[in-house]
Amino acid sequence: MMRRLYIPQDTTARAVGADRLVKAWEKEREIEIVRTSSRGAFYLEPLVETDGPHGRTGWPNAAERDLSRILRGEGGTPIDTIPFLAGQTRVTFANAGVTRPLSLEDYRAHGGFAGLEAALRLAPEKIIEELSISRLRGRGGAAFPVGRKWQAAYETHADRKYVVANADEGDAGTYCDRMVMEGEPFRLIEGMLIAAYAVGATSGYVYCRYEYPAAARALREAITILTGAGYLGEGALGCNARGGGGFTLEVFVGAGSYVCGEETALLQSLEGKRGVVQPKPPYPAVSGLYGKPTLISNVLTFATVPSILARGGAWHASLGTEHSKGTIALQVGGRVKQPGLAEVPFGLTLEEAIEEFGGGMATGARFKAVQVGGPLGSLFTKAGLTTRICYDEFAQAGAILGHGGIVVFDQETNMVELARHFMAFTADESCGACTPCRVGSVRAREILDGFVQGRGRPGDLDLLADLGETMKQASLCGLGQRAPYPVLTAIEHFRKEFR
Amino acid sequence: MSSLAQILSHAKGRAPNILKTLLAVQSELGHVSPASVPDIARALGVTDSEVAGVLSGYPDLRTEAPGRYVVRVCQGESCVANHCGRVLKALEKKLGVGLGETTRDGRFTLEKVYCVGNCAASPTVMIGEDVHGRVTPEAAETLLKDCR
Repeated sequence: MMRRLYIPQDTTARAVGADRLVKAWEKEREIEIVRTSSRGAFYLEPLVETDGPHGRTGWPNAAERDLSRILRGEGGTPIDTIPFLAGQTRVTFANAGVTRPLSLEDYRAHGGFAGLEAALRLAPEKIIEELSISRLRGRGGAAFPVGRKWQAAYETHADRKYVVANADEGDAGTYCDRMVMEGEPFRLIEGMLIAAYAVGATSGYVYCRYEYPAAARALREAITILTGAGYLGEGALGCNARGGGGFTLEVFVGAGSYVCGEETALLQSLEGKRGVVQPKPPYPAVSGLYGKPTLISNVLTFATVPSILARGGAWHASLGTEHSKGTIALQVGGRVKQPGLAEVPFGLTLEEAIEEFGGGMATGARFKAVQVGGPLGSLFTKAGLTTRICYDEFAQAGAILGHGGIVVFDQETNMVELARHFMAFTADESCGACTPCRVGSVRAREILDGFVQGRGRPGDLDLLADLGETMKQASLCGLGQRAPYPVLTAIEHFRKEFR
Repeated sequence: MSSLAQILSHAKGRAPNILKTLLAVQSELGHVSPASVPDIARALGVTDSEVAGVLSGYPDLRTEAPGRYVVRVCQGESCVANHCGRVLKALEKKLGVGLGETTRDGRFTLEKVYCVGNCAASPTVMIGEDVHGRVTPEAAETLLKDCR
């Protein structure tokens, strides 16, 4: 009897051996291998699944020798019973691990295009109203109300408008955008199509980072498929009903600059220039790419839009906390037992995220600190773990949620070296447009070099604090404004180590 | 492999996109030689300094030919938390080069990278386009052996 095996083709699944399994097993006569996306329970990868009596059955951390066991049905775990997955509220990642990334048939069978179809039945104003009701905020880090951004792009009149997806997912510790692009690229494109129709844009770009070759490939193939199927291209789908021009989409690959994740620098880069941050206003929604109104949002934001249109703004607003609506894709990692992606409504505490999803500390590791929100995010100690994961409580703590990255550090981490690492990152990545960031980051790194080499001087910590305040107040973009936070919170919580 | 002139002939006649052109040159020739800047500028109808500015503005644009295998050790926070410094040290020792350097036989270039999105399987080493996860210092040395 032919048996079907589902094996993810996600980059992380492949990085821990999924391709090796495929290579070893593909010649076996009695099996058919189907490459799916990953469920995001990466600690279980490579996770091989079969069709069971009640949904899929999984064999975590499968090795080549496990094939006969899998075929006999020995020792598998029903996927539904895995607490890491069962405890989540999967919306944007509902199909993760289930469908084939580039199968239009699978996408349609699992709710694909329901949002677009709903949107095309509405007038653009009504779509924007639905987004405002949903109270969706940008998922890239700045958390700007999405409805307001779309309204601004809609209201600005121009002969040409653009929709741009920011796929420059540079915050270390995060990969949810990569999972969307590799695992369900149609969802991102569906969100962009809805946006294009709502604001009247006829062309768009996905700006994908250089470090994500597999994501860029998947997107390009998805664009070809959707163009063939009449969703994309000039005159397609009657999208942009007012202009009748359809929507063309292109993937643009960057070249490794972190600051290009900042929207104005990204648009400069998309024009082929050096990625340098521009002062705002004007905002991109008014004057963006080539001076035209440009709706630019993070990948995850666009990927959230289809479900909002399909299920209604009020449904989205029913999830989460008072000012943080919907779900957040937490990427719990570092020295925890169960690194992976957890999509949950806003509002659980950091401790719950680390314990319930992260599974607590890895073997032999003791908790020292946790950083939330990428390389510019603040550090928390045990005392901060009661903080609820939502925009308000993080703002009150002077912290950011960023792109949902939660990285746990253990007792072997040297906080002085870590602080130096953070500032060296900013010094490397500063675009140089403003002095506080360009010069401040280098000076701060030099001071921290001193501490690393054990020659910190009295007054150095005050100097760092002073420099940090200046960078926070006077830098042009989030890079310089946020760069002092991980360093200053490291000093605040671990002052004794800075000698 | 195309010549610089051939690559530039494709870039002509459109709105000049310097970054895209430089990436096309790098993809064909392996790197962008600073000596080629004036030719690229002329083909695109922009100034030399505009091209040089873009070339120096992006870490992933190379001005020198790399080794046959580019080995990139991730320095993202999740990899740092998982003590990727130990992996880097093992690779430096094995290859006898530091970050940004190429082995004398031209086989390996060792570099750092800030996050490749493989954070849930840290530490990460990327060789060419292949991503490797949960890399121990010992496993890193084995990865080098597999490069032929």
